Amino acid sequence: MLLDSTVGRYWRIVGTGFVFIVFGLGAIAISATIFPVLRLTARDRNTARRRIQRAMQLTFKVYVWLMYGLGLLTVEVSNVERLWVPGQLVIANHPSLIDVVFLVSLMPHVDCIVKEGLWRNPFLRWPVAWASYIPNRMGQELVEDCAATLRAGNSLLVFPEGTRSVPGQPLRMQRGAAHIALAAGVNILPVTIEVTAPHLTKGYPWYRAPLRRPHFCIKVGEPLPPSVYNPGGESGALAARRLNEFFLEYYAAVGAQNQNWPP
Amino acid sequence: MTIKTRDEVFNHLRDTLVELFEIDVDKIKPQAHLYTDLDIDSIDAVDLVLKLKEFTGQKIQPQQFKHVRTVDDVVDAVMEILAAPHA
Repeated sequence: MLLDSTVGRYWRIVGTGFVFIVFGLGAIAISATIFPVLRLTARDRNTARRRIQRAMQLTFKVYVWLMYGLGLLTVEVSNVERLWVPGQLVIANHPSLIDVVFLVSLMPHVDCIVKEGLWRNPFLRWPVAWASYIPNRMGQELVEDCAATLRAGNSLLVFPEGTRSVPGQPLRMQRGAAHIALAAGVNILPVTIEVTAPHLTKGYPWYRAPLRRPHFCIKVGEPLPPSVYNPGGESGALAARRLNEFFLEYYAAVGAQNQNWPP
Repeated sequence: MTIKTRDEVFNHLRDTLVELFEIDVDKIKPQAHLYTDLDIDSIDAVDLVLKLKEFTGQKIQPQQFKHVRTVDDVVDAVMEILAAPHA
């Protein structure tokens, strides 16, 4: 196919650069126009939060369509309806910079953890606050913020690795997601993201587009109730270590680690 | 409170790390880095400081552990707390 040829590869490099610019300018434009209107016309904080999160979903959907429409990638999602159940801790492996774009585009309402520095960004501080996104503060504070929103019935998206996966290495997870699950006691929804070629992957600069167009496969797993992931109802440092091992075994069993691509 | 030697403090710290986090005893060396070698994160650190509070019988200010990176640094911080008790 043309998009998988050498010419197609150059097209995808230019297209990826273009999409980066659209992401950046789009974020500023929307933050300065649509989001303030949605916030100022909402009667209370919670209405504003739901509207802004919905607007985030639609914006990210446009980005996904744009990337697909430009021929940069293809995507396939299974069991997407499982993502629409509120009050779940959604966890996912993290092969690519755009994993969050896919997942937010599939969920009408979801809380995300974002860089604390965004609260000092003149453009983005208001949208992240209005969407009630959670700043990535250190340790216990972050766990408590996350558990509180889950207990209030909101879903939360967390990448337990804390950063993108290192290609060819076994997955390594920080224990924050495990601590959040133990503190909140809600269902965990594990999502597996697979991609056929490195695209916006750790260690691969964006301008090194793969030879063939990458295909993303997003598989939403079965929800895991606390009776499955924490049958003893434990908490604390050792319980978090055990739950983290459980996550790693889960992702090892579904084959998400050690993504190796042909050169 | 009896005066404790560095060895006593180290041994206590080693036992505490094994008890709290099931860390492999052989890994707990003075130069071992808490985060990279022993996989102790900021949430674990809160539990550890609570246990050390019991051990020293002193109030511990978080800033006393701010620059702690290795097992030896923890021993130093505990020795300092024991040497200069707060009122």
